[in-house]
Amino acid sequence: MAKYLAKRIFYLILTLFIVITVTFFLMKLLPGTPLTNQAKLSKSQIALIYKQYGLDKPVWQQYVLYLAGAVRGNFGTSFQFSDQPVSYLISSRIEPSLQIGLQAIIVGVIVGIIIGSFGAMKQNTWADTSATIVSILGISIPSFVLAVLLQYYLGLKAGWFPIAEWGGFSYTVLPTLALAFTPLAESARFVRTEMVDVLSSDYIELAKAKGLSRMGVIYHHALRNSLIPLITIVGPLAVNIMTGSMVVENIFSIPGIGEQFVKSVLTNDYPTIMGLTIVYSFMLCVVLLVTDILYGIVDPRIRITGKAN
Amino acid sequence: MENSSLPSMDISKATDVVSGETMNNTGEGLLRAGKDNKVTPGVAKSYSKSKDGKTYTFNLRKSKWSNGDQVTAKDFVYSWQRTVNPKTASQYAYLLAPVKNANAIMKGKEAVSNLGIKAEGNYKVVVTLTKATNYFPSLVASPTFFPQNKSVVNKYGSKYATTAQANVYNGPFKLTYWTGTSDNWTMSKNASYWNAKNVKLKKINFKTMKDPQTALSQYQSGKLDATYLSGQQPKNYKNSKEYVERKSAGTFYLEINQKKDSMLRNKKARQALSMAINRNQFINKVLEDGSTPAKGVVASGLASYKGKDFSDVANVKSASTQNLAQAKKLWKEALKETGRKSYSFTFMADDTPAGKSAAEFLQSQWSKLPNVKVTNQNLPFKTRLSRSQNGQFDIVATAWGADFPDPISFLQLFTSDNSYNNGKWTSATYNRDIANANGKDANNEGARWNDLVDAQKTLLNDQGVIPFYQQGKAQLVKSNVKGLIYFPTGANWDFSKTYIAK
Repeated sequence: MAKYLAKRIFYLILTLFIVITVTFFLMKLLPGTPLTNQAKLSKSQIALIYKQYGLDKPVWQQYVLYLAGAVRGNFGTSFQFSDQPVSYLISSRIEPSLQIGLQAIIVGVIVGIIIGSFGAMKQNTWADTSATIVSILGISIPSFVLAVLLQYYLGLKAGWFPIAEWGGFSYTVLPTLALAFTPLAESARFVRTEMVDVLSSDYIELAKAKGLSRMGVIYHHALRNSLIPLITIVGPLAVNIMTGSMVVENIFSIPGIGEQFVKSVLTNDYPTIMGLTIVYSFMLCVVLLVTDILYGIVDPRIRITGKAN
Repeated sequence: MENSSLPSMDISKATDVVSGETMNNTGEGLLRAGKDNKVTPGVAKSYSKSKDGKTYTFNLRKSKWSNGDQVTAKDFVYSWQRTVNPKTASQYAYLLAPVKNANAIMKGKEAVSNLGIKAEGNYKVVVTLTKATNYFPSLVASPTFFPQNKSVVNKYGSKYATTAQANVYNGPFKLTYWTGTSDNWTMSKNASYWNAKNVKLKKINFKTMKDPQTALSQYQSGKLDATYLSGQQPKNYKNSKEYVERKSAGTFYLEINQKKDSMLRNKKARQALSMAINRNQFINKVLEDGSTPAKGVVASGLASYKGKDFSDVANVKSASTQNLAQAKKLWKEALKETGRKSYSFTFMADDTPAGKSAAEFLQSQWSKLPNVKVTNQNLPFKTRLSRSQNGQFDIVATAWGADFPDPISFLQLFTSDNSYNNGKWTSATYNRDIANANGKDANNEGARWNDLVDAQKTLLNDQGVIPFYQQGKAQLVKSNVKGLIYFPTGANWDFSKTYIAK
């Protein structure tokens, strides 16, 4: 296990290194500058400002400096916000994003499990059909469409929740719902399929024959066994939420990193785009690593080293 | 509601509109911008100008910073010196160019202490200019000329003005919440402000909203008192009582490359190109964002003299309105005079949505002229800019925003030696008028005004450029919000007289 972990962490670092390198050189190809008033500045003034940002050095030197800084968590200074370090920009905005993301995945997966198992238990009834419809809708409706609908009906028309902004739990409800719908649908569909499979297996028949209560069978035997594969999809779901958050944060004006990402792209703020790309890739790699490790722990049949078999 | 975040509160460094308007409300210069672009007393209770117009003496009142320090003449000297200091790398330092030695200091050829501003005691500032500059008082009222407290700048070092706390304020309001990167910020009434008893609002909350629909919903639910409109929204709310259009001092105009060939040098051809454009249609059917057709290059609402707006006085109607029949006739004559059967040219514009729709629209308008072929070229800003400056274009769409409320901020662009005169249009009469306005008439308001009016008329009569449209913003403001003061340049708003009617 330790060897496997070391290997995975090495790959994680390698991946991040490649991400940094590729984004750095891609950004260099783009026409962004820290100049906010370029049309009216003389050449010497522009040179002066480039020097302040270290942009007068050759690109390879900039790259080495950037890499050295990134290792220490220093992603340079934002072009858009004068004198604001990118690392501060990110750290001051990461909390709302994490909160909404975690809430969405927890709510989505739990509700998804309930709906999914309900559908499997009542297989081929109206309840099952409606559960299926919910999951199909959830997978096909993008989170930003749902966000706008929720905002309009539950926020503006009904007035139950704040329409936008940040400030307390009630503000997180609508964005969480908007983001939770996809994981909800995915996991409902997944759990239903697994559960139908498990429910028809021999050991369930045996448990029933033993005279266990219906709920006992479902909880102790069916649900547990159908949840294991669910872990595999939590990773991709987390990714889904991260990308969805960019648009959803914008719609609800949440001061998170997704919203900042979109703003930075619009203002050509390359240091911030690079910093956020690295942070996003880091989170992604960690989520994938954690799911892989969990998978090995939960299901002894698939120990990663292969020795357990 | 704001469309973009507050990026900086450093008086020497900020260049954007949001920073400008925030600083205008949390700070105050020697003079304060007032209604209709007229300056009113600020930290200076009075000022006098020497006969030759080169020396200004400001008499300061006793006033305080929000931390209790006195606002003194030294704060102004320090602030202006900091801005022109090459080490600060200010992107707005050129605004101080009229001040003696400013240009040399910015190039590092003169010591910072030689800037033409001196403190005489604590309450007198004497400013020396290179030459008489009629609009200097309105410059002094803009945020770049505000004072800065040296001990505060030194105390916070590189953190100065990056959060609400790492700063001090001498204006009607102080910033009480802003993390430096937050989407929201709050201004509260500044009790230390000398005129605090006339400031009515206790608190103003600002929120950045990127999504226009969200902002509109917030406005409708009463969470916002004012919001900007975009996309289809201005059209939908045009008839609302709360709908307001704000003109900004930014003009889009088309420059015609005079070095290209005989056709573009032909006056009739240039006039035909201008007359072929239905500007109202572009504003009302394509852009729909609160912009207005441009009457000239100088934005309307920017400057007035004896109650008359510059753009109305210096107007040449035929140079900025559509007349398709005349356009066709002139174009044919131009083709004949230059010995051509047909003419094709390329139109260059930015690759922004507005730039693209402008290019498509103009192409369709110009295609109505006989025997013409127009090719569009939409380029990224930086590329477009360098090609414009190097003369690599036939016709280009250029935008210019005025930094201060005087026609010269636009008209100086078209003298023969100006580096922003991309089309290289040249007129001796025009050069002379501008030289007079800057030189012999600089100290005579009426004569200078006439020089500038004549200059724009010369430019338009010769169709040296083609005026296109003036930028505007559409807004919804709750009808109980009173006393908002709006400026078309730099710092858009003054809230010091604003109040909420019961």
